[in-house]
Amino acid sequence: MRKTPTIAAVALLLSLAACGGGETGGTAAEAPPAKSIILITPNPVGTNSFLQLGVKGAEAAAKELGASFKLYESKDPTSIAQNVDAAVRAKPTVVVGISFSFDDVFNTVPKANPGQQFLQVDSCAKDQAPNLSCVSFKEHEAAYLAGVEAGLLSTSGQIGVVAALDTPFIHRWIEPFFEGAKSVKPESAGTPLYVGGSNPFSDPARAKSQAQTLTGRGVDVIAAAASGGNPGVFEAVAASGGKAFGVDVNQCALSPGNVIDNVLKNVDVAENAAIKEIFNGKAGGVKVYGLAEGGVGVNALGDDLASSGCTVAASPDVVAKVKQTRDDIVAGKITVADPLAG
Amino acid sequence: MNIFEWSFLSGVLTATAPVLLAALGGLLCQVAGVFNIALEGQLLWGAFTAVVVSDATGSAWAGVAGAIIATVLFSGLLSGASVRLKADPIVVAVGLNLLALGLTAFLMRQIFGSGGTYSSPDLAGLPTLAELGLDIPVLGPQSPLVPLALLLVVAMAWWLTRTRSGLRLRGAGQHLEAAEAVGLPVAAYRHGVTLAAGALCGLAGAQLSLGNVTLFSEGMSAGRGWIAVVAVMLSSVLPYRLLLACLLFGVAEAFGFRLQGAGLPQQAADAAPYVITLVALVLAAVWRRRSHEHA
Repeated sequence: MRKTPTIAAVALLLSLAACGGGETGGTAAEAPPAKSIILITPNPVGTNSFLQLGVKGAEAAAKELGASFKLYESKDPTSIAQNVDAAVRAKPTVVVGISFSFDDVFNTVPKANPGQQFLQVDSCAKDQAPNLSCVSFKEHEAAYLAGVEAGLLSTSGQIGVVAALDTPFIHRWIEPFFEGAKSVKPESAGTPLYVGGSNPFSDPARAKSQAQTLTGRGVDVIAAAASGGNPGVFEAVAASGGKAFGVDVNQCALSPGNVIDNVLKNVDVAENAAIKEIFNGKAGGVKVYGLAEGGVGVNALGDDLASSGCTVAASPDVVAKVKQTRDDIVAGKITVADPLAG
Repeated sequence: MNIFEWSFLSGVLTATAPVLLAALGGLLCQVAGVFNIALEGQLLWGAFTAVVVSDATGSAWAGVAGAIIATVLFSGLLSGASVRLKADPIVVAVGLNLLALGLTAFLMRQIFGSGGTYSSPDLAGLPTLAELGLDIPVLGPQSPLVPLALLLVVAMAWWLTRTRSGLRLRGAGQHLEAAEAVGLPVAAYRHGVTLAAGALCGLAGAQLSLGNVTLFSEGMSAGRGWIAVVAVMLSSVLPYRLLLACLLFGVAEAFGFRLQGAGLPQQAADAAPYVITLVALVLAAVWRRRSHEHA
């Protein structure tokens, strides 16, 4: 009796294998494979708002294209590789991976499977194969806009950033932020501090200490770029009477009245567009989404600003200046230097 | 002394407090001959349960009490497995550290319906001494648990050297067979210190999640329990030396933050606590060897 399920499973596997054989044989009787998208995340999605946006973008694209959608969540680097293998075996129209965690796998797997299309969002494997498309963002343009708001709203003229780590990529949230502030108030002075430690992306206690170090020196506007540490930064500014900026998604509601605005990354918009291009046969290359493409932004530019909970909504003159700066950047009148290109 | 230097000292105490409370638990175990390396996991568990209870009741003190009770229960796993069932305490402790990491992440999703970081207006943080009417420099911005930690150092030093029960505990740790021969309940001592360490780690966790900040974030203990273990090893089981060791880490962290502001790269500032640990371990070993040679 016990063996029955095992036998059934083996039978099922064999029948699946038979199906697979049929497909590769390409017999005319088989229906053409349906359009499908498989999205692989580097971590469980949970309430990770960044990954939630990634799922939303791929789901929307699948719906609009009439394709099926599957989500593979990874737990660690090993399971990322296993998920990519499983996805490749399923032969979807496109395999989507989110973040730099896929840099290694996408260096090799696309080359080994030239017939499969891949899309990497928010990073790009160094050794890019022609069947790997990449989507990256001009985070520095949005950080510059946040800097404009910070410059106009800081009373002390001293602003700061609490960032997770001192890495080249994270600098995209630092120097452009200070540049933006200087563009409206040349005497603005910016100080970056880094959380570091053994858990830099989720250590709110250290992030708060760093923010307090800044507020202790008279800094009254701090941009938080510390991932899970951001709420610690919000607590510090709330206690000192300062204001903060959130990152990636709308974090204004996390600390009502203390967050001016957010440096947004519209992963869903960019991913949706990139998937559609691949379905239309325009695969490969790196597509960069900046302010012009709506890939990055700030809440001040959104239609739902009034309900966003962000304090910038109370300063229409600042919002107007941000919109004008956005237009200038899109029109090429202002070029925001990219610290990564540095 | 200007405001900046007061705030520096205050920053040192904020960084020190959770480590010191956990290290006091570790010291107590060490005195009784139990090498407790489960401090990291208990600290995280305490931080989590403090937030859960504070969020449910709206009272920070209920959160502190909840963290103490929950962490004592949690450390019961260690005392039960290692003292009663004679399992290797190191192995059990490593298991508990991993369990705390996974269990808090899992329960966080079950209870708060979200992963990553949880903070909410319902969550009551510990009041500062300034809010309680004690607006003094350095201690003013701290929670009442910070002076409590300092008092506990004094109390433990007094208890271990001036009372009969304290001396018996030390005896049980230093010479197990002799202690058993004179009829001391050694196993009961070991259960007791392990559970007491749980209570202290519960306090440490509550200080971290309701005092230093008012939120819970996955893995927010971030190595502080391990620093506490090192502090215990550096202390030669003397409470005042333990305080010095913990303050050293607090200074290293707070100083590292300021050095960063002065232009030192983050990676170098980050290394400060570890460099200090290494130097201190080496110096402690050298001193110990010298004193043995002289003896």
